[in-house]
Amino acid sequence: MIELRNNELIFQFPKVHTQAVCRIDFQRTLRIPDDNQEYPLPPGLGSFPINHVDDFTDNLPATWKEHGGVFIPMYQAEALWMNFSGHYPCAIKIAAGKINAVSGTQWTKKLSNRPQDYVVVPDQPWLDGFNVSKGCVRQFVAMPLGEGYTAEEQLTGDAEHGGIQIIVYPMKHDVYVKYMEQHRVFNIGDEQCLTYAPADEMGLGAGGVMRQEIYEDDYGIDSWDQTSGLRCFVHLTNSAIYQKITGHPPLHKPPTAQEYTDSGLPWFDYYADKKALQGSASLSQLTSVAAKKIQKGEGTLDNNENVHPNTIKTIKKGRVVRDGRF
Amino acid sequence: MTFSSYIRQSREGLKAQDRRFSVRQVAQRIGVEPAYLSKIERGDVAPPSEGKIRALAEELNEDPDVLLAMAGKVSSDLLAIIRKRPKLFAELIRDLKSMPDHAILRIARDVRDGDW
Repeated sequence: MIELRNNELIFQFPKVHTQAVCRIDFQRTLRIPDDNQEYPLPPGLGSFPINHVDDFTDNLPATWKEHGGVFIPMYQAEALWMNFSGHYPCAIKIAAGKINAVSGTQWTKKLSNRPQDYVVVPDQPWLDGFNVSKGCVRQFVAMPLGEGYTAEEQLTGDAEHGGIQIIVYPMKHDVYVKYMEQHRVFNIGDEQCLTYAPADEMGLGAGGVMRQEIYEDDYGIDSWDQTSGLRCFVHLTNSAIYQKITGHPPLHKPPTAQEYTDSGLPWFDYYADKKALQGSASLSQLTSVAAKKIQKGEGTLDNNENVHPNTIKTIKKGRVVRDGRF
Repeated sequence: MTFSSYIRQSREGLKAQDRRFSVRQVAQRIGVEPAYLSKIERGDVAPPSEGKIRALAEELNEDPDVLLAMAGKVSSDLLAIIRKRPKLFAELIRDLKSMPDHAILRIARDVRDGDW
């Protein structure tokens, strides 16, 4: 079962284990400069509001009703990162427009380890973007579907799905008992899937480059219970029409990277003694949002000046708070 | 407890502290004749319309959905929702009838997966 509570998606697998729970929320953040320089991790500026599609079906496209799931409002060119929490080991597949954000392959429900196309929590606390090279991602940036910016359009030539798709698989009960209870940890998991899509349909494009490792699965693909999954489709709606859909005012725009950095607020690095995955060859070929804008003859991306983060906090495994206050 | 006796008890309780909750004054505020409200409270007539029940609920600080249910009625907005997907909601309500409140609340907020 997937529950939406306090803007957090809670994946629960009671048939696998009573403590098999994985939580995912979507953090607002700065859009880092898209200038091919490497940046540290930007802060979390609070969760995006998440709404049930079923609560607003009269105001949403029919395809959203068909997909079910939830939706979040994003401004054009706004960035997000995904925040994972929970103690029970789970494997999570994430796609944008049905393009796997880790492997760059087309969406499939099952896990693959050749190449690995999922992240493992709790080892992986966050995912900020597309896995473009070992130790680096290109930031998730919301762009309108149909204009050539999204990863989906660049890799498939079609603007069909948009949004974000997620599946969560819990660790098998016996594997959990064998590995985790030996270490005096008490949790287990199942499978689930989420997707995000848009109401002036939006998808995720590739923004600036930041340092973030996506870790190898230490447990092995056979550790995950792929028989008891849950799925959900998460849609991305343009903030400009969010009020028309929900009656709620849209959120204020996040600060720019320049404004945030000039205020002396911290950026982050994360350190864990684990092996990182190689980047995806196909994702590394993505044209970034800023480059695409120039390529299309639409000028330069607003608020894209490079910045020089002076305050960088290093966070080690187990201490994963990444709040930025502005 | 019946709708009629519940209304009477609720109003009399308020009247004990505030004379504005006499039959005459409450009837006047919700737009009915005092004699008609008396008959409603005695159960001599059928419960009033949804609109009057809502007005009574507001006047007596009661939940309109609860009063409507006691009167054997379903709120018109709920009816509209059920009419859109009658089979689904009928099945859902029957499935939920013996579940505890916290379980119902949890189901009500589950994220539905669709076809994609």
